[in-house]
This record gives sequence, structure tokens and C-alpha cells, in this order.
Amino acid sequence: MSDTAATLTQDRQKLEMAALSAPAVIFTVAMIAFPVVYTIWLGFQNFSSTGKQSFAGLANYSKLVSDYEFWHGLWVTIALYVLSLVLQLVFGVWLALVLFHAKRLPGIVRSLFISPFMMPPVVAGMMWLVILDPSLGAANYILQSFGLPPSDWLASPSLVIPTVALIDSWQWTPYVALIVLGGLQSLPPSVYEAAQIDGASPFRTFRRITLPLLLPTIVTAAILRSVDLLRFFDIIYITTQGGPGNASNTLNIYGFRVGFEFFNIGYASALMLTLTAIVFGAVLAFNRLRGAVAW
Amino acid sequence: MKARMLATHVALPVLVIAAVSGQAGAADFDWMKFKGKTVTFLANNNPVSQALLTYKADFEKLTGMTLKVDGYQEQQMRQRLVTVMNANSDEVDVFMTLPSREGEQFAAAGWYADLTAMAKDEVAKEYDPAGLSQALLKAATFGGKLTSMPMNLEGPIFYYRTDIFRKCGLDAPKTIKDVEAAAEKIKTCDSAVTPFVSRGLKPAVAYTFSNMLHNIGGTYMAGGKSKLCSAKGKEALDTYSRLLRDFGPPGVVNYSFQQISALYRSGRAAMAFESSNELRTVMEGGARLKDPGLLPFPAGAAGQVPTTIGWGMAVSSHSKQPGAAWYFVQWATSPEVQKKMALQGIAPPRPSVANDPEYRKWIEEEPVRKEWQAALDVLATKGSSEVGYPIVANPQSREFIGQAVQDLILKQKTVDQACADADKALDALIALN
Repeated sequence: MSDTAATLTQDRQKLEMAALSAPAVIFTVAMIAFPVVYTIWLGFQNFSSTGKQSFAGLANYSKLVSDYEFWHGLWVTIALYVLSLVLQLVFGVWLALVLFHAKRLPGIVRSLFISPFMMPPVVAGMMWLVILDPSLGAANYILQSFGLPPSDWLASPSLVIPTVALIDSWQWTPYVALIVLGGLQSLPPSVYEAAQIDGASPFRTFRRITLPLLLPTIVTAAILRSVDLLRFFDIIYITTQGGPGNASNTLNIYGFRVGFEFFNIGYASALMLTLTAIVFGAVLAFNRLRGAVAW
Repeated sequence: MKARMLATHVALPVLVIAAVSGQAGAADFDWMKFKGKTVTFLANNNPVSQALLTYKADFEKLTGMTLKVDGYQEQQMRQRLVTVMNANSDEVDVFMTLPSREGEQFAAAGWYADLTAMAKDEVAKEYDPAGLSQALLKAATFGGKLTSMPMNLEGPIFYYRTDIFRKCGLDAPKTIKDVEAAAEKIKTCDSAVTPFVSRGLKPAVAYTFSNMLHNIGGTYMAGGKSKLCSAKGKEALDTYSRLLRDFGPPGVVNYSFQQISALYRSGRAAMAFESSNELRTVMEGGARLKDPGLLPFPAGAAGQVPTTIGWGMAVSSHSKQPGAAWYFVQWATSPEVQKKMALQGIAPPRPSVANDPEYRKWIEEEPVRKEWQAALDVLATKGSSEVGYPIVANPQSREFIGQAVQDLILKQKTVDQACADADKALDALIALN
């Protein structure tokens, strides 16, 4: 085959590849890039309560700086994020270790352990709303059966964040455990054999070998959970709608209300883009950490 | 707000309503005019639409049209509507709306089709638009345009347990002070029950609080300024929050209609202030049929000024087939369908249906139904549709009312601080309108 013919064949192959991948590229642009660009554009618009629209420049972003609800929402988002992430990572690793070592655990029990995250968050929220109802719920009934005082759970401004974090952790800890379990199963047995020969205690083995080797997996789980946790919405929407007062009003809930209840789509877009930037920041930070702990 | 005071059985000299009363098109009206069309109905999945949609097949048979129902819970329905309308989409032909909440806002945004001409020219002989609550029609008229047709009549009413009242030696409360005194007595007489429950969830508070405010003689706005810090406003805030804080269930700040109905139905509350629409839910299982006590909310210094609202059916201004959409609205709000819905416990917005012999017979079957209808009669004649501030940003104004009440229930602020903070935020909101 001559050089010209080979070049023509290569060009044709390139064209074919471009044609074949075009639908996927167009779909991706339409489904991801367009909504993002549109939201950025909306962030520069002002919408009145009646939906009338005008160019706002950076007004929506400068409004964020002086908006108490924004800063409060940011604080609530970060508090929920940190508390939930810590709970889910700690208990996720613990659950993974239990499942890893309990080799004889029947499949049905293993399935039960990891089943909560398969439940739609709305269903989980409804279920916990009933359980934690201060008057009719099972949680207070159990507390009182043991002579303990009842709690207001989701109705107390000081308890609502820990309570929501517990609900979310109940649902998503098994997910973290599943990721960590995969990591545990892939660890090289040789290092454990060496530790055993050296007489290392189980705790020391865990601290010095298992945990460091698991770190990349744990960081991966943290990244996946971070994206969800910073966008905390469904469980709060179902259980408290941001209350009592604004004690659980996360940025996502606040943005939803501003956009869909008060019709200020421009300011809501600015809020959501700020939240997106925070999510990206967290993911980038964890990615760097993952690079640092890789082995 | 006097302009919005309802007087269902009194004729109101409103031009639009007078126009509606004419039936120029009755003679050549044909239900099959839009045969083969499909009408999309965005419905709030509440008892009103549930009762209506029981007869969906009747509509399709009568008109030869297909009715496509897009049903959601209330907030999700609005979310869908906002998305559809902001996109100028014709996906929705007919939607449910609460004129008292979003009427000003949706009308200003141009989302409602003007029904005035259709309600005059395109009506079946039996439709009887003049028979609809003239006051609810007026409440749905913005800038001279009729924006929706009333589906029902509702408002918060006072449910109380007659057995507990008897046991504690109490009479039915006549005033707000009586309610508080009864709650105090029940607290010691029957400590197993919650003496009083009403809405505490922030966005839901305005629905019941408005009745308290108006009974006491307060008003939300005067001279373009928020008046929660007026003497009457403070009294209403203080009384409402005190009743819930001292006599309400734990966690009442998360209570809306679902929690209130569940608590009262289970026998764990002696008094509940909740929507007339909840009658069926409250009576489910039959336990509460033994001890029914239903009243309009007891009087304050200004007497009884109950909150009276109604869901309406509106045609989307983006609908490409407003004529077909109107036929569905007309069928759904016709005397025949509203009578069928009334027999399912949906209070009719037509005095003629309320007086229909078959409906009266249904009412007489159960003492609780008689009390319910008696309370509704008061709502129909004395009610006010003012729930929250009469401004375009009404939904947002409800947030600030709810925040003030919650601040007081949770003892996070004094009455003076709570009302001052709310007035400041509300004045800013009013200024934007």
C-alpha cells in the first residue's frame, strides 16, 4: 500500500471514529454543558417575584456576601458534611472490618447490613420522620422504656443537625463499608504474614498496616460521599424543610426555596453555582490527598 | 383585609362576575367540540383532586377527549409548574392553584389564561356560573381577569374531643381565652393527651395563624407597612405561640396537617386546629366518630373571622388549546361533579350544592358531618381569604410569619424581638412589590 493510500485510510478511520463518537459527545454537551452554561447565565439575571427578568451583572454574587441566610446555610452545610462524613468513614471502616472477618456470616445477613443505601432517601426520610416523632414515634418510646427522658430530635434547633447526620449515616455507612470491604479484599496477604511472623498485635496490625494501606480506598469513599453530603437535600426536605427556624437550612435547601418558592431563579442559580464551586473544591482537595496517600 | 372578605351568599357587584353570569354560548354548546384532543392536568395530589379524578372516565366519555393527569404533592406540583411556565412550555393545559397564596404572583407573571370570556361565551346550559361562590370568584379575579374557577371551599376549623371536655367538666369553647383555659384544665385533668395542637411548621403556620390574628382584630398590613408589632399583632403572635409551646405536642415546630391529623385521629390530642379538608383523614378508622366536636375557631376581640380559601382550576396561558382546557375546567366545576365530590366530603363552593337534598341527606347521616357543615357555613359567610401578606411575594411573607412564631415557640426571642425582626424583613419584602 502506498503512503498516500495509507494516509487516506487513516483519515477515513479518523472520520469514522469521529462520526461514531459524535452522538455521545453531543449527548454529553447537551446534558451537562448546556445546563451548566445556562445556570451561569441565569446567575447574571435578576428575576422579580413575578418572573420579570433583567440583566443583573454580578449583583447576585455581591448579594451573597451580605446575605445572612447564605452564610448560615454554608455553616449548616459544612457542619452536616463534617459530622456525617466522620461518622460514615469511622463506622464504614468498622462495618467493613466486621464483614471482612465474619466469613461465615450468611449472605442474607450481609445483605441486610448493606441494604439501607439501596432505599430511596425519600423513603428513609419518611421512615425516620415517623420513628423520631416526639409524640407518636418509636424512638422516644424506647428511651422512656429505659427510664430516659424523651427527646425532640428533629424539632430541637440544637439536636436537628446531629439527628439528620445520624439518619444520613444510617443510610450511607453501608455504602462506605462496601467500598472499604473491596479495598480490604485487595490488600496483599504477604504483609499480614510478615506482621504475624513479627508478632504484631491485631490492633498494631490494623494501625500500622491495614489503615495506611486502606487510605486510598477511604479517600475514594470520602470523595464520593463528599459530593452527596455537600448537596444535602432529600432527607432534610422530607424531615424538617430546613427547620426548626432555619437550623437545618442547608445551602441546597435555601437555593431550592429561593428558586422554586420565591421565584428568584437568578439568585438561586448564583447560590447553586457557589455550592458547586465548594463541591469541586472539596473533591480537588481529596484528590490531592489521594495522590499523597497512594501506594 | 376587608377587600378580600368573603360573603359567599351575598351578591357582589363585580363586573367580571356579572359577565360570568351571562350564558351567551349555552344554546350551541357542544361537549364533543374538542373530541380527540388530549388535555394535560397538573394536579395537587390532595383530597380535592382525588375526589375529582374518581370521575375522570365520565369526562372522557362526555367529551371524547383524553385527560392526562400529572399528579404531585403540593410543593412538587408548584416546582413542576414553575419549571414549565418559566420555559413557556405548553406541556400543561390546566393546573390547580390557590389564589390566596400564589394568585397575585401568578397573575402578575402572566401564567393564568383569562377565563372571563370563556366563562361567558362557552358554557353549557347546566353550568350555572352564577351559582359558584361569588366571593371565591372575586378572590380569583386579578386586574379584572378571572383566573381560575373554584373547586372547593375550605379553611381551618377547630376539632375537639367532646368526651375529654365532658370528663374535665368543660363546655365547648366560645372564645380564644376559653381555648387557653380548657388547655390548662386538660393538662391536669388528662395528662395523657396533648391539650392543643395546630400548625408549627414554618411555611405552614400562616394558614392557621391568620385566623387567630383576624379573630383578635389584627391585620398584616396597614399603610404599606407590616403590622405584626401592632398591639393586636403581638397579642396574636403571643397567644398562638403560647398555646403551642405550653399545651402543644413536643416537636410542634415540625407539625403540619399530616402530623396534626395523625395525632388527633390517634386520640392523643384534645383540641386540634386544622383544615376542614382533613375531616375524612381525622375520622378514618372511626375512633373519632364517637366524640366529634367541630367549630369555627372560637372568637377573639373582633369576633369570628375564619380563614376561607379554595383550590381553583386555572388554564395555563401557554396552553395551545385553551378551549379544550376550559371544557375540562367547566366539567370539573359543574354542579353535577361538585355534588358528587361533596358526597365524598369535599365542601362545595356552590351554595346550591350545599343545599341539595341528596347532599343534605348525606350530611344528616353522621353528627360529625352536621357539625362540619355548620362550621363551613360560618366559613362561607364570614371568612377572609387573607393568608399571609396580600402582596405578590405572599409565599415568602409566610416564611417570616412562621419564623416569628417558631422563634417564640422555641423561646429564642421575646415577642417584641420576634415581631420587630419579622416586620423589618416583611417591610423590605413589601417595598420590593
